[in-house]
Amino acid sequence: MGAAPAARDVTSYGMGLAAPLALFFLVFFVAPLLQLFWLSLHNDTAGLHWGLGQYLHFLTDPFSLGVLGSTLLLGAEVTAVCLVLGFPIAWLYQRVGPKLQTVIILIVLLPLLTSVVVRTFAWIVILGRQGIINATLQSLGLIDTPLKLLYTQFGVVIALAQVQMPLMTLPLITALGRIDPNLDDASCSLGAGSWRTFFRIVLPLSLPGVIAGCTLTYAAAITAFITQSLIGGGQMLFMPMYLYQQASTLQNWPFAAAISIIFLLAVLAVVSVFTTLGRMSRGYGGA
Amino acid sequence: MILNRRSLMTTALTLGAMKAFPGLSFAQARPLVFATFTGSWEEAHKAVLVPAFRKANADAAMVLDPMLSVDQIAKVNAAKANPPIDVMLHDPGPALVAVGQDLVEPYPVEKSAYYKDLIAEAQEPMGPAPFFQVVGLTYNPEAVKTPPTSWADLWKPEFKGRVGITNLNSTLGTGWLVEIAKMRGGSEANVDPGFKALEELKPNLAAVAANPGALATLFQQGQIDISPGNFNAIQILKARGVPVEFVAPKEGAIAFKTTIHIVKNSPNRELAFKLIEAALMPEVQTTLMNPPYLIVPTNSKVAMGGEIARVLAKDTAELKKKFVFQDWKKINEQRSAWIERFNREIKI
Repeated sequence: MGAAPAARDVTSYGMGLAAPLALFFLVFFVAPLLQLFWLSLHNDTAGLHWGLGQYLHFLTDPFSLGVLGSTLLLGAEVTAVCLVLGFPIAWLYQRVGPKLQTVIILIVLLPLLTSVVVRTFAWIVILGRQGIINATLQSLGLIDTPLKLLYTQFGVVIALAQVQMPLMTLPLITALGRIDPNLDDASCSLGAGSWRTFFRIVLPLSLPGVIAGCTLTYAAAITAFITQSLIGGGQMLFMPMYLYQQASTLQNWPFAAAISIIFLLAVLAVVSVFTTLGRMSRGYGGA
Repeated sequence: MILNRRSLMTTALTLGAMKAFPGLSFAQARPLVFATFTGSWEEAHKAVLVPAFRKANADAAMVLDPMLSVDQIAKVNAAKANPPIDVMLHDPGPALVAVGQDLVEPYPVEKSAYYKDLIAEAQEPMGPAPFFQVVGLTYNPEAVKTPPTSWADLWKPEFKGRVGITNLNSTLGTGWLVEIAKMRGGSEANVDPGFKALEELKPNLAAVAANPGALATLFQQGQIDISPGNFNAIQILKARGVPVEFVAPKEGAIAFKTTIHIVKNSPNRELAFKLIEAALMPEVQTTLMNPPYLIVPTNSKVAMGGEIARVLAKDTAELKKKFVFQDWKKINEQRSAWIERFNREIKI
């Protein structure tokens, strides 16, 4: 080996430390992904004939496109619910004493400490015909027959929002924590009301956290196979279940691979919209 | 031979590697691997089948590796020359896939002591059926006072919003649709009448579950009162105190053959045969028929008893009369089209 360089450039970091993880990703993520892509380029299930047939099938089929659309919409609904419910919690966290802060963090993290399956089963109990919601409404005399909550889009959105809530709240708490509290006081002393302060100061400055939270929640919500199938049931088809059906029940791997690639691209598109918004918000926040 | 530092080092490394990865040395040396199903199947096989096999074969080493049929097929497909599994267990649909992809060996029928005692439907030359799964009507006796007697009862107006079914991903869902089609004049090749009947069932449907396991949850939560269901799954629920009853409809209960196969190129062919023999043995099947397993036997020498005799069949003759077997070869041909159609049409 050659002699060591006389002076090391202290402003640049060596890539050596990242190499093990990079190698791991290369072998266990990039390689299977390429294999998946390779498989999706076949027209028959045995993988002998090359062609774009699987993609054409998906993209020209209104039903498949409908499944993709409803999955992306589901993600948007869950993200919106998480944002609307999660923001006040994060805001509150910055304005209470350390004891209450611990309580809030515990409440936020608690869902992460139980398995998704357990949380989803809890929602079956809550939303069921004889569940907590229906029992309460019936005993109050507000409804005569139980409402159908389980196996509906509404049920899936509510359950997913609760399951994914920590992914939204945690980045928001961090982002709101970085805002200098003096800015609030300054805004108020200059005559802005609390709503104006919120919309002109707090919200723009917290946008990086909002974007990060939305990206995480969105990605987690649309891929949540367990919650989607247990709360949504067998007749509400979202992309993960569609994929499972093709790959596992029908052994149609090329089509399943094409579905995955299309799903991946669709999600990447949505995420890149979020990141672009994030970049714009950084300029906004800095201005 | 001259020993230098380098050759010593190589030898040491090789020995070390063989110690660390014993699979490197000889594939032959691994124990017999039986891929059973997860859940109650694994429990039953661990408690009854494995001990019986080891007793008969001088404590031969064997491993249960429970996984779904599709995973078994994928794993064997990935290493056909040196498969990681010796014995596979399959539902009728996947069994035909495995046979079609040339993954299993014909069962050495002439060597077998028990094959000839199996009832005719269980004698499959590519892998016999040691057990049946039976699908009938499941209902909640607290809500349904007069027990149902026919598949047609699901359409009764009194069950408006109380019926549960599963989609066609499962053997149960597909088999049930075929049976409904048959009831209305269709067949394995023509399920159109079945889909029409499903359309008429919509007002009664409370839920289309993603898998048969989810149906159990729906019963527990009072979400549904009646559904097609698997005999064994219902017995497990019942044992846990859930108010459910099973009844064989008068059209006949749907019976699925669960077949057991020797994997092609298995390094443990002889032991694999011995394990399957153990599964066909009357003693093993009798034990598995009794509580808590309640698995329907296929060996005609087994005298039916207990819950199975009460709700299913008292003997082989009655069993043949009351069970309906389906032609899964025909079903497999069109199954993907049906799944697609079900996806599109069944929205409630």
